[in-house]
Amino acid sequence: MQTTLSKKLNVLIIFVLLAGMVWRPAPALSAEGDSPGSSEIRKPAEAFRFDLRVLSYGIIQQSSDSSQNPGNNFLQIPRYTGNLEFRPDLALKTDSLDLMAKPRLRLEYREWEEGSREGRGDWESDLYVNEWLARWKANENLFVSYGRENLQWGPSFLFSPSNPFFPDNGRRNPYEEVPGMDFGRVIWIPDSAWTVSFIANTDEGRNDINLPGPFERAYALKMDYQGREGYGSVILTHRENSENSLGFYGGVTLSDAVLVYAEGAMIRHDYALYPRRDGSPFGASMERIHADDSTVQPAILLGSSYTFAEGGTFTGEYAYYGPGYSGAEADRYYVLRRKAAEALAYGGPISGLGRLTLWQTVNTGLRHLRRNYALLQYNRNNIEDCIDLTFRWTQNLDDWSGQLTALGSYILGNHIQLFAVGTVNGGRGDTEFGGLLDYQCMMGLQYTF
Amino acid sequence: MTKRSSKRFRKTLLWTMAVGMGLHFSCAYASLSPKQILRKADEARGNEEGVEWRIDIRSVERGRKQQRTLRVSARSFNSLAEFLAPPNVRGQKLLMLDRNMWFAKPGLSKPVPISPRQKLLGGAANGDIASTNYAGDYNIVKTSEGMVNGEKCYLFDLKASDNRATYDRILYWISMKRLVGLKAEFYTVSGKMFKTAVFEYKNSITIAGKPREFISRMVITSALIKNDVTTMNYGRVVIRKIPDSVFNLNLLTR
Repeated sequence: MQTTLSKKLNVLIIFVLLAGMVWRPAPALSAEGDSPGSSEIRKPAEAFRFDLRVLSYGIIQQSSDSSQNPGNNFLQIPRYTGNLEFRPDLALKTDSLDLMAKPRLRLEYREWEEGSREGRGDWESDLYVNEWLARWKANENLFVSYGRENLQWGPSFLFSPSNPFFPDNGRRNPYEEVPGMDFGRVIWIPDSAWTVSFIANTDEGRNDINLPGPFERAYALKMDYQGREGYGSVILTHRENSENSLGFYGGVTLSDAVLVYAEGAMIRHDYALYPRRDGSPFGASMERIHADDSTVQPAILLGSSYTFAEGGTFTGEYAYYGPGYSGAEADRYYVLRRKAAEALAYGGPISGLGRLTLWQTVNTGLRHLRRNYALLQYNRNNIEDCIDLTFRWTQNLDDWSGQLTALGSYILGNHIQLFAVGTVNGGRGDTEFGGLLDYQCMMGLQYTF
Repeated sequence: MTKRSSKRFRKTLLWTMAVGMGLHFSCAYASLSPKQILRKADEARGNEEGVEWRIDIRSVERGRKQQRTLRVSARSFNSLAEFLAPPNVRGQKLLMLDRNMWFAKPGLSKPVPISPRQKLLGGAANGDIASTNYAGDYNIVKTSEGMVNGEKCYLFDLKASDNRATYDRILYWISMKRLVGLKAEFYTVSGKMFKTAVFEYKNSITIAGKPREFISRMVITSALIKNDVTTMNYGRVVIRKIPDSVFNLNLLTR
């Protein structure tokens, strides 16, 4: 613990020292009152930026009594959570080098009302660097960078199939930060319409998602087009010890109010777990059934949004996720999950197998459990110049479970923002959205210095 | 030549020169086509090569006062607006790549695609920051003359050339003398006026070695609620070549 903390502090110290070493007063441009064409020295305050946001929030949530988490004994989801987070963002911009770091300090209190930890509470603290970046500008058209980034792209809300690195696109709850992964990038901008990027994902960084297999390095070639009519991107990815995949996204601004977009990928899910009948005690087990074949599945998302004259925007999306379970596979999955849940109570080796199976059923390696999804969203920002509101309904069209999310924020003065994120899941225990939480409510305050 | 006839000759020559010069100046503008006049007026609110400025937006909407400070880098059809103040919105970015717009803010994982119609603050839409390209976005359907604050103007009736423009129709008053837009009325598809704007040009830039007036203020008034006023003050105007990388979505750090 001491060593880890010391390593993290070292990264911070190195960043600050490096920032001090590379900073040079850069010639900039004329300021107000200056005669045009005259120059001034860029002020240190403009080269170095420090923003600090402090978030204090509480979460109340109710775990579902489902086969995935019977009596909350497996996932042990706390009923109440209180958090205090310090989120400083440091950045230094020079003519040829950009440095950025986002160290984080989080204090959390959790209390349980159900499951094996019923009536208990505990404190946890964490100090880490969620993102950092060093970017060198070789010339106006060529940039080379390395760092820990939350590298996201694409226009969609539901999920971003074109992104081979991050299963979570961070849209569900904008107040929760997506953990960064380590990337090296070379970006070449031949002209205003085209950009070519080479991306190497060298480490999972803080995004230690519980994939069934170990982390594999991945390399992507991304080509972006930007035109008057719209934009588009093609992403070719090679993952070590795996096949290549092809992703794309694109969109068109049809009018001042209408946007249409699409995102997709042809992907192999050789590391994803599927339920297969066998002679094990539960009659089936979770296995990488596509590990040795080259089956490629499509994941396609189509979306559109319309902005009303009063300012609100309505968005609709449909997604087909090919690697998701078919009806028969889903039935097998839920039967296996129920048997594993029952085995938890027996004790002995069978309980251990049940625990392992439940760990596999919650970490299948799939972005979504089933194949057909729809999203409807209404969003309106700057109501009375101080309120942002979003209502989002996500529907699983295969098992008919759904999720309603409401996001709201209220600006109170120049520094304080109140926010709330509420999620209600609908569906039986043996459905995708009904399996983990009945509801979750997050309320808090953000102070920006 | 007698002394008298010589004097008459000089007088005639001077008159001829003066009238000739006057004719030349008036012809200089008169020879411009309506599209060229519109393009000249656009130049006072943007630049093909690149321009940077700060906008201080103050809005009063239903009695509520709000303020934002933005740094805008614009070139041709593209612009990047970075919110500098107040602290609550600092770090937010609005990237406009022609009519394609993206909004990013600290904490948001990825930029969100948004439409030009979405509200920026008060009566200002996102498209107002970058709406410097009336010559490209609108067709001139009618020209006439008008007056704004005692200044003779060309009055252009502009109709959106395609449905990507921020407004369906604009009535635009351009000063005959200065070739800058002084006033605009914005209309919806149904033909209803929903806001007006007046422009001031107290900034100065140098283009090809010549000083040129540049926008310093845009005041937007709601046609429905007269007390809802949004004032955009433009300062720290700098003409400079802005590289493509400034408008690149891959480099839009959060």
